[in-house]
Order: sequence, then C-alpha cells, then structure tokens
Amino acid sequence: MNKLKIALVVLVAAMFLSPTGNKGMLSPAGTAYAQDDWKAEFDVVCAKTQDPGVISSDELKELVARCDKLRLRIEKLDETQRKVYLKRLQMCKDLFAFVLESREKK
Amino acid sequence: MRCLKAFSLALVILVSAGMAEAWNRALPSEYGRVVIGNHSQRAGLAPVVFDHWVHRSRFTCRLCHVDIGFAMNAGATNITAATNRQGFYCGACHDGKKSFGGKKLFAACSEGLPKEESARCDRCHSLDKKVARDYEFAAFIEKLPKTALGNGINWEEAEAQGLIKPVDFLEGVSMKRSSLKAQKDFSVEVKASWIGEVIFSHRKHAVWNGCEVCHPEIFPSVQKGTTKYSMFQIIDGQYCGVCHDKVAFPIQACQRCHIKPVELGGGAPR
Repeated sequence: MNKLKIALVVLVAAMFLSPTGNKGMLSPAGTAYAQDDWKAEFDVVCAKTQDPGVISSDELKELVARCDKLRLRIEKLDETQRKVYLKRLQMCKDLFAFVLESREKK
Repeated sequence: MRCLKAFSLALVILVSAGMAEAWNRALPSEYGRVVIGNHSQRAGLAPVVFDHWVHRSRFTCRLCHVDIGFAMNAGATNITAATNRQGFYCGACHDGKKSFGGKKLFAACSEGLPKEESARCDRCHSLDKKVARDYEFAAFIEKLPKTALGNGINWEEAEAQGLIKPVDFLEGVSMKRSSLKAQKDFSVEVKASWIGEVIFSHRKHAVWNGCEVCHPEIFPSVQKGTTKYSMFQIIDGQYCGVCHDKVAFPIQACQRCHIKPVELGGGAPR
C-alpha cells in the first residue's frame, strides 16, 4: 500500500515537474500556451491578406468577424503587444473590408 | 487651348521652382533618412538617425511596415527601449542574436547598460555625432544601376538584376503566406495633353508592399476613375507622395510614372 502511495506521489510530482506535463494547467507555461492560441489565429487570419481578391465575399465577411473576435483577445495583452498587434490586426481587417466594399460598389 | 497649355506649363514651372529647394536638400546618401527622437533626449541620448536605404536594400517594405509594424510617418511608431527589448520594432531584428548575411546584428540599446557597452547606443542614436558606420554608401552603390534623383539608385532595376534580394519573411514575426498572385499593371489617365499617361506597376508595388501597406489607408478606392489624384496632393504627401519624394524615387522623375508616350497632334485634353 505504502509503495502505491509513493508511486502516486512520484507520478504527481513528475507531472508538475515535466515540461510537457503542465501545459493544460494554470501556470506561467500554461498562460503562454493560451497566448500562443491568439497568435496562431492571428497568423491564420492575417495570412489571408496575401491575395484577398480571390477570397469569396462570404469568407471575407467571416474574416472581418474573426478580426473583431481577435481584437477582444489582443486588447487583454500587455501594452506593447497590444499596441503592435492591434495595429497589425486593424490593417488586416481594413483590407478585408476594403475588398468587400469595392466589390459591393461594382 | 493655347491658354490652357501655357497655364499648365506655368504651373509646372511654379511647382518645380517651389520644389527646387527640396530637390537640392538631401544628398543621395541621406535621401530617405529619418530622424527619430520621441524619447531619446529625455533618456540623455541623441535622436536616432535611420538610414532608410540600408534597410530597403535588404528587406521589403511589407516586412517592416506590416509585419514588424513600423508606421509610415517618422516618429509615429513611438519606439521605446522597452519595446525593442521585448523584441518589437527595432528589437525584432536587433536583438544581438539574429544575423543577416552571415553577420550578427547588434542588439538595440537599452537602459542601464554597462559603460563599455553603452557605445552601442551611438550606432543609432547618432544625430550630430561622428559615428563610424558598418556600411558605406559610396561602396554600396558602386555596382548598382544608377538614376539621377533620390538615392541615385534604380532600386527596381537593381532587384531585376539580382543585385539586391529584399527579404520578405522574418521568423517569429511574419506569418507564412501563400505565394502572391501576379497583379496586373494598369494605366491612369491624365488631364493634361503634354504629359504621358501613368502606367502603374501594380505588380512591382504588390511584391514590395503586399496589399495592406497601400489599401485602404493610402489608396482608399480601387474603382477606376473614382479618385482624382492631383500632383498638388502628391507633393503634399498624399497618395503616391506617402513614399515618393520621401523614400522612393522623387516625383521630379516624371517619366518613371508618366510612361505612355504623348500622342503628338492629339486633340483636346481629356
């Protein structure tokens, strides 16, 4: 029984100490992981600025909506990240909106 | 008709005369130079002297003005030592770890540096200082195709000849994009009959800038004929004037944009 307890303690300790074991927990590493989440979404959305002319209007509307959602997440970051990424996000959103508007005017 | 031509000619002369001072102001090595001093003097440092040509020879406009996020107007980015230290703006490359062309890039300066390292700050914070640079303009332009104005370098030709290869991706900063679809060049009609139509190289501009540097902030409309561009607005720094006359070739190089030959004996101006 004692051996089982020791084994359990060792297992729990290993989970906390392991660099991969605590990703899902509320820890600094976990926070970084959550932050990377917005960055991944940012990269996917803003990579679409490469050729917005070939994106369908529905997808452009969806991208604008994704930019709005991302904005809320970026606004919670520290001052510098917020400043840098909000500007970059605005450029992406403005371009999508611009292409949409240009199409509607045609 | 004659009156109109004479008026147009007089206007050009007046505008040219007005611009003569600006024309003569910058040396080729200093053309595009930006002085940034938002916080420098408060920190006891000289303002930063940024030689735009050094960076444009190595990186696309988009890498710096979109991916890294530098504003298009001098001083508008509000760079601080803290932002650089966190790996943003200058610090995105100048972190003392990254290298370019096999050479390690120096780290941007920071508060509280030991004395022996503080000389590093002078590399950028150099207004009115005699600072030895790692680069030398005369040597740099030696093998590049020349042009009369601006930096004296025909950047487009330099890239076409493979003499410069501006980088468009910075690991950890740029997002992975698909390859850019070639954009069609198009013409822009002009009102006056004495100057050729503009052939706008959309392809070249898109390769260097991507879409979002220009649209919608600088060019808010793409509907042909919707926006009437005037040289007065451009001289004033709007539209093409955001870059041309500041860092890209100056507007006095009329023939670089007004490419289409004038039809001699043509009718009334459009």
